[in-house]
Amino acid sequence: MRAAAAGGVGRLPRPGRSKRARRRRWLGLAYVAVPLAFYLAIVIQPLIATVNYSFYQWDGVSPATWVGGRNYTTFWSTPDMAAAFGHVVVLIVMFGFIPLALGLLCATLLSRATVKGQSVYRWFLFLPQVLTTVVVAIIWKRIYSPDGPLNTILGLIGLGALRRNWLGDFTWALPSLGMIGVWGGFGFTMLLFLAGIIAIPTELFEAARLDGANRWHEFRYIILPSLRGQMAIALTLTITGALRTFDLVYVTTQGGPGNATTTPALLLYQLAFVNPSVGQASAIGIVMAVLCMIIAVVITRVVEGRDK
Amino acid sequence: MISRYERASNYVIIIALTVAVMFPVVWFLLTAVSPNTSGRLDFSHLAFGNFVTAWRDGNLASSMRASVVVAVSAVAVQTILAVLSGYGFGVLGVVGERVLFPVIILGMMVSTEVIVIPLYYELQSLHLTNSWIGLIIIQLGMGVPFGMYWMRATFRAMPQSVIDSAAMDGARDWAILWRILLPMARPAVLTLVLLEFMWTWNDFFLSLIFLQDPAKQTATVALSAFQGRHVLQVNLMAAGSLIVSLPVVTLYVIFQREFISGVMSGAIKE
Repeated sequence: MRAAAAGGVGRLPRPGRSKRARRRRWLGLAYVAVPLAFYLAIVIQPLIATVNYSFYQWDGVSPATWVGGRNYTTFWSTPDMAAAFGHVVVLIVMFGFIPLALGLLCATLLSRATVKGQSVYRWFLFLPQVLTTVVVAIIWKRIYSPDGPLNTILGLIGLGALRRNWLGDFTWALPSLGMIGVWGGFGFTMLLFLAGIIAIPTELFEAARLDGANRWHEFRYIILPSLRGQMAIALTLTITGALRTFDLVYVTTQGGPGNATTTPALLLYQLAFVNPSVGQASAIGIVMAVLCMIIAVVITRVVEGRDK
Repeated sequence: MISRYERASNYVIIIALTVAVMFPVVWFLLTAVSPNTSGRLDFSHLAFGNFVTAWRDGNLASSMRASVVVAVSAVAVQTILAVLSGYGFGVLGVVGERVLFPVIILGMMVSTEVIVIPLYYELQSLHLTNSWIGLIIIQLGMGVPFGMYWMRATFRAMPQSVIDSAAMDGARDWAILWRILLPMARPAVLTLVLLEFMWTWNDFFLSLIFLQDPAKQTATVALSAFQGRHVLQVNLMAAGSLIVSLPVVTLYVIFQREFISGVMSGAIKE
């Protein structure tokens, strides 16, 4: 976990008191100096600058005017903004919770599988993680198009009434994008959970079996508690991923039809680079960053809280 | 131990899942070699010429070169930075690490969107927008947190006695890193290189913002522009997509284990 990693600092060896150890740590600083300089210049300095930008009104060209917290106070009253964050909620469910549930179900069902050619299946199931989002978007744009395979299949199995232009439909465009997340995320969660289940000592299952536990009991009392860490990781990654959705929307719908599929990152891009209102764009960036951090902390807390 | 019924059901589940995941990809593969521009599958003959046409019309020669230049140089330098910082934080210790280490780890939570706006205006004033160097520099800075964390964990997992005995033999810090630790760390470095390559090659957001000049564009951005222009030539779009995915997918064929374990343990370590 990201937060847990930061907490791990305490485990570093205590700084040595000897002159040699001190010399070594100056030497260490020399080793990290260049990476550190890149990092401070490319990540930390702009991070602070974004906070600063967010208090100004600026079109990117003429001088900026200080507006205090106005970019934040008017934030939610802008209909576009409210819509974009509303869409994120839908995407969080579809990118995060559905792959979690599906992955959990399939990993459990397959936990005792001794299928031949496992690595072949793994290769296929993990493939969406490796493909660039642009290609994923183009693939699905085709699948969803009015004369695309999805509609063809619906026609063939007698569900022709359901045929539509999936990504051009005000109601269906957003869930259709969400389904792409389910497709792409599910292999990742399943393999993560399978690895977690394999790490559970088999004696635990044997003992449970002797006590007359059935598969539901195994799932509820052994598998589910053991996978808490993996579930936290999967949720943190998929939920922050959903919040940051950009490539997929940019390539498939550009936020349309109307504003039915806008996301905060898409608005940020438009406000920063297409139709500059840089202060507002920066405020979106800050809100996204804060939300990401809150999500990570809350998920870690929930997971650790249940540990006690 | 496992009944025949269960074994059979396992096969059914895993095959059904694989088919569900692969269906869109396979359909797309078939579209790419189909002569029909509307995207309807047509097996009257296989149109491998689609790849040639897509390569030419999609500006793929220049954009694939851009992607190779950016990805290869970014990965090379990122890896060096990762080794240096991992050795500093993991083995030598660093003055002020109680502050510096958490500050760098924080970078794993900082998403691109939050820093991209000032970066754009700053690089613009330095004339580094529409420049591969500018994009590479950004990739380098953003790669530091994960690289440092990954290599630090790798070096710390190595037996302290190896380092101690080398130091006893009078090996200097540089020799210990270069001749002893790095050879032992080769598998971890390989995984890091593969992940970094995948991330820079697959990047879209940064390239879109920082390389607006079509002559400088990377493959993912060129592909996105291509599909915007050629909505009516689905087979060419599919062929172009395959070309752009090919480098990473090829590596994934060869290094499947490294990719899967890297992404998963990378996620866990984050």
